[in-house]
Amino acid sequence: MKKTIINSKYILLLASLISIIACNDIDDVLADNNVEAAEILPELTPGSVDFSNYVALGASFTSGYTDGALFIAAQENSFPNILAQQFVNANGTDFTQPLMNDNTGGMIIPIPGQDDLPYRLIFNGEAPQRLDEFLMELGATAPEVTTNVTNSLAADGSIFKNVGVPGAKSTHIDFNGYAAFNPYFGRMATSSSVSMLEYAINQNPTFFTLSEIGGNDVLGYATTGGDGSDPLTLTATFDFLFNDMVTQLLATGAKGIVTNVPYITDLPHFTTIVYNQLDPNDDDIGPLLVPQIPTLNASLYGPLDAIFTGYGEPDRINILSTTEANPLLIFDENATDRSAEITGALTSTLGVEMATAFGFIFGKSRQATSNDLIVLSASSAIASIATDIPSPVNITGISYPMSDKWVLTPEEQEEIKTATDAYNSTIETIANTNDNLALVDLNAILTELASTGITFGDFTMNANLVTGGAVSLDGIHLTARGYSYMAYKFLEAIDTTFGSNFIESGNIPNPGDFPTNYSPTLQ
Amino acid sequence: MKTILPFFMLFFCGFSYAQTTITGSVVDDSSQPIPGANIIVVDTSTGTVTDFDGNFSLTYNQSPPFFIQASSVGFETVTVEITTTNQKVNIILNEGNALDEVVISASRTPERIFESPVTVERFGLKAIKNTASADFYGGLENLKGVDVNTNSLTFKSVNTRGFATFANNRFMQLVDGMDNSTPALNFPIGNLVGMTETDVLSVELLPGASSALYGANAFNGILFMRSKNPFDHQGISTSVKKGITSQKASGDNDYIDVSIRAAYKFSNKFAAKINFGYLQGTDWAATSEVDKTTPGGTRADLNYDGINVYGDEVSTNLKKVIESDVFLDKLAESGTNPAVVSLVPLVEVSRTGYNEKDLTDYNAESIKSDWGLYYRPWEDDFEISYVGKVGTGSTIYQGTNRYNIANFFQEQHKIEFRNDNFFLRGYIVADKAGDSYDMVFTGININRAWKDDNTWFGEYTGAYIASTLGGATDAQAHAAGRATADTGRYLPGTDEYIAAFNKSINDPDLSTGSKFQDASKYSHADANYNFSHLIDFADIQVGGSYRKYSLNSSGTIYTDLDGPIEYSEFGIYTQIQKNLELTEDLELKLTGSVRYDKSEFFDGFLSPRISAGLTINKIHNVRASVQTGFRNPTTQDLFIGLNAGRAILIGAAPENLERYSSTFDISTSGQALGQGETITQTGAVAYNNSYTASSVTELGETGDPSVLEISNPDLVKAEKVSSAEVGYRGKFSNLIVDFSAYYNKYKDFISQEVVVSPYYGTVGDGSLSVAAIANDDFQAYSTYTNSPADVNSYGASIGLSTKVFGNFDLSGSYTYAKLDFDRVKYPDFTTNFNTPEHKFKASFGNTKLFENFGFNIAYRFSDDYYWEATFGNGVVPEFHTVDAQINLKVPSMKSTFKAGATNLLGDEYFTAFGTGFIGSMYYVSWTINNL
Repeated sequence: MKKTIINSKYILLLASLISIIACNDIDDVLADNNVEAAEILPELTPGSVDFSNYVALGASFTSGYTDGALFIAAQENSFPNILAQQFVNANGTDFTQPLMNDNTGGMIIPIPGQDDLPYRLIFNGEAPQRLDEFLMELGATAPEVTTNVTNSLAADGSIFKNVGVPGAKSTHIDFNGYAAFNPYFGRMATSSSVSMLEYAINQNPTFFTLSEIGGNDVLGYATTGGDGSDPLTLTATFDFLFNDMVTQLLATGAKGIVTNVPYITDLPHFTTIVYNQLDPNDDDIGPLLVPQIPTLNASLYGPLDAIFTGYGEPDRINILSTTEANPLLIFDENATDRSAEITGALTSTLGVEMATAFGFIFGKSRQATSNDLIVLSASSAIASIATDIPSPVNITGISYPMSDKWVLTPEEQEEIKTATDAYNSTIETIANTNDNLALVDLNAILTELASTGITFGDFTMNANLVTGGAVSLDGIHLTARGYSYMAYKFLEAIDTTFGSNFIESGNIPNPGDFPTNYSPTLQ
Repeated sequence: MKTILPFFMLFFCGFSYAQTTITGSVVDDSSQPIPGANIIVVDTSTGTVTDFDGNFSLTYNQSPPFFIQASSVGFETVTVEITTTNQKVNIILNEGNALDEVVISASRTPERIFESPVTVERFGLKAIKNTASADFYGGLENLKGVDVNTNSLTFKSVNTRGFATFANNRFMQLVDGMDNSTPALNFPIGNLVGMTETDVLSVELLPGASSALYGANAFNGILFMRSKNPFDHQGISTSVKKGITSQKASGDNDYIDVSIRAAYKFSNKFAAKINFGYLQGTDWAATSEVDKTTPGGTRADLNYDGINVYGDEVSTNLKKVIESDVFLDKLAESGTNPAVVSLVPLVEVSRTGYNEKDLTDYNAESIKSDWGLYYRPWEDDFEISYVGKVGTGSTIYQGTNRYNIANFFQEQHKIEFRNDNFFLRGYIVADKAGDSYDMVFTGININRAWKDDNTWFGEYTGAYIASTLGGATDAQAHAAGRATADTGRYLPGTDEYIAAFNKSINDPDLSTGSKFQDASKYSHADANYNFSHLIDFADIQVGGSYRKYSLNSSGTIYTDLDGPIEYSEFGIYTQIQKNLELTEDLELKLTGSVRYDKSEFFDGFLSPRISAGLTINKIHNVRASVQTGFRNPTTQDLFIGLNAGRAILIGAAPENLERYSSTFDISTSGQALGQGETITQTGAVAYNNSYTASSVTELGETGDPSVLEISNPDLVKAEKVSSAEVGYRGKFSNLIVDFSAYYNKYKDFISQEVVVSPYYGTVGDGSLSVAAIANDDFQAYSTYTNSPADVNSYGASIGLSTKVFGNFDLSGSYTYAKLDFDRVKYPDFTTNFNTPEHKFKASFGNTKLFENFGFNIAYRFSDDYYWEATFGNGVVPEFHTVDAQINLKVPSMKSTFKAGATNLLGDEYFTAFGTGFIGSMYYVSWTINNL
């Protein structure tokens, strides 16, 4: 009997060996060995903002416009939609957008005197091209455009959180009746008289983004080469309108975020076409250009050079080189008018009629310099035949000056900058004096993008067309990846101003998820 | 009366001289020889003691009948009647308990384990017969405090007290006094070329440093295996084991293990034996696809580097691609605007790898044979022997990479002179790597044979850009990049794959192939003299050893392209042991040893050990010891020169540094700084112009050049350990307790440190060298140096064993091990501690459950721990495993039948990061005549 007791005692003793084993967990082991487990991010806090009803008011960037068009895939990657996806984690609700009917980018506008909106741009391997043209060249048919401005989205009572309307200027935001002038707003407007601002305020937002106001006010002027057909909005007008729209939005009790205006002349729309692209060494242009240079110099550049030099402007026009890149020939409204002098000088050789025509055509001409910006849309105009102009002085940019709308001269650029600075001063003042407003410095972002480039995630984006990754094929609007960065900057500003922690908590868009291009096959 | 008898004897001597010679052996009840047992003729002073193998020979000048008595401490004394002249007697002494087992390794002289001055574990014949493991070597894992790291069926690596990888050159393995570490590798490949089971007499294991007696390398411990001497163990014994290995990854596969031993004693002067062993099975397939470098990474990741997926180690940052002239030229050729490269993300991308399963057939094989000729010219304890051993086999070794060791060959030849008081032995060990190859480089070079890295990454990047412009997201563009670059990739099983595979494994140049080439060897001499029969006041021993290495890898591992590298080392030692009987119940045993070692390249070292053991009431023994140990850098630490892919390994022998050189391309940005197109660097830059790898990584993260930290590691020297140990052994009723605790303090820990050497600039210049790092113009080197870190470890183990329910054996042990090291301060230093904090083992069995039938169940638990080794680091999760066996003896057939299973629960586990999962083995065996 005693032996049994002893035996079971030993068994207990052995068993106790097992129980003293204080096991390690795998996590303990990793921690002991200083192995970093996946970093644990803090919980998301929304700060002082109520994200439950977010409304985005703005223009083309807000709408998601890209590649010269608006289409479903692009709208889904609009920066407000990207933001809204992060807001979901902070009490945000569904964010509705006035989606187009397809991915063609086009819109049918069956109104006399108005053109349909064209297909989106795609990258054809060399340059941006309209989707329908690209497909036609391949012998394929372009998908049908099914978005029709007359099909009102509001017909069923729908109202959309994304009130981004491509083309809207500051003057349009609170313009009753804008629906009739802008098909994008037209198809979503709840009445013919409602203004964009009213449309937004009617939704009682708790949070709003008022983005790129002022952008189209300078852009319209810039894309038309400052030819005066689309003038800059007066600073005083802008000040009043911007102040008014912010006041009205804040009166709803919402908090919001505004943006300033970038120096749009840094956009690839203005920087892609080089001023001196008449390059004899260029494989495409050279063979066509070089044989003509002697004639051009003898009959045009030589005489003009002599005349301008004679009147004290030796570098206004120089003869064309057969080895170095030559600048384009442009019209400059600010140039000293030498039409009389040209006519006078050439009458003896060309006759009065021709000399007068030369004087008229070349009186305000000069060769472009590195200070001029040629707009992207000029690419099709360069070397084209100018209508109603007699040969041989009708080759645009070579023997015929490029007209004002294709070129932003330094004086025009200065006007744009002055206006931009004035708008921004207003915007910043308002933002800084109002606790319920945050500010995103789009101006600094574009400057950085165009100079050093911007590193976002694994990518380094720059402001180059096609290759830069941030700006879409139209040279003005952003790519989806560009918009994702814009959203990131909005989140950053919201965090700073309203005490939320989107960035710190990792609730940020991943740039890799947002493409730089949309496939031609996207239907 | 007393005085008359001798007179009578003298008187009769002249004409009636009678002489009786008795030979025999003394074994314990499990047939284990008892060395040092006293044999006396009853009531006389005539007597002798048994030798190391329990044998004795006694000559007595009277005719039978008379009685002899055999006794040994801890055994019951036995008296045997001698009835004939030249009678041979085999005496069995009943063992008291485990504490009475005799060990010889702890003091280089036989002593009871109970009185051993340091911790020692014994794995005797009884334990071997009853182990539930598939073989005796595997059975070692049931010993207290022992880690058996399993790499392969045929390569298990034994260690104690931590600090081991599979390249365990801190642990020594002696077979009959002969080191069987592989010359090429500096450590033993388990039992691949070791002993056959039927020839094993005993295995002893000394945990902890034993440099004081065994010199360098006996740093973590020694495994001490002894074979059966043919004078004592004769006849033919055979063991045949058949079964299956069962693993999820490789299924059920047949397994066979045969050993044969034949020994014959031709006369009292001459005996011989021969052993043959054959084992063949299928190895544990290593199929882990877990990402080695990115936690949670999967095969879909860009820079995936699967643990057992090879070829994906080759990775590059796409930044390098888009900056390369070749790539930019290609873009220009295709008429593409080179600015498109800015669409490419600056991320690391790896090539697509092959699974290890496609790079090996997992053949596990061991064929070994040894033979011995033993000559006793005077028919006494003086013996001259020659032992030859050859082994060949196939296994898996995991070092920096994983190697398929195929048809590896090792031979050993030993000549030894010995008697009870001395030995003198000399042996050589030589290896040939056979058809062995590096599986990682095989994967890499099959890929390269198909498509070179530049082309692959160029195609990848090109397709990435094209897809991005075509509207792909980042993930889609990467997928398109990989699909394009992988177009036409050799698929396993195809003719082109097999051709590329065969080409690689036959080519020793690691830039194109993966053959492991080696034919290194070393020769060794050992001598020992024990003065105990001459000096009374104490037992004194002296000894020494000499070893000469000859490294010969033809430039494929070592920098020995111009011929073998040779160097030598020697050591001498002495030990004094003194027993003091303080009182009747109190006995003190003091042991002091000291050893001096000198290697050609390093300063000499004295390593002392002192220990004291106090025996109380003959049943309790308390011991304490203090000793130092040291370990010389291994041949690899000194002479390696190998581009292992992610880093170039450069051994730290001064003459080695300039012998390795390689040429690198300089980036365009670097050339813009006035550098040439290429640069040639020798291995010396790793030691005299390098930054720490961690600071270069930090620079990458922060962009702040001030974080760069100059490394310039010192050349490696010997590492030292100071160790203190206390222990207790004793007996309470029938519970046996064995406890030990130790504290180890390491100095100059030999470590590999990864450094980064810029192609230009001098480290610390703050300008050019920083630019080189920024331009990716640098090479990572793995250097061999000593860590300034204080590395300490401590631990304890307790073992309990008893009999329960009558004659059932129940035992259990718990081992605790802890590393004390400031990891934050030394982020680049890996200790390779590699042992769990908690281990628990238990065994339950009965050798005679009923007549001739026994069983045993063994259980092991290992806690979660972190494995660090050059192949990779990672957690080894906790595991529980149970082995069991039943056996039946059939005396009429002289046979034992055994059926057993290892890992009976079937929960697959692993003991080291990167290896295959260990499945289960089921076997039956038939052993004949293995006494």
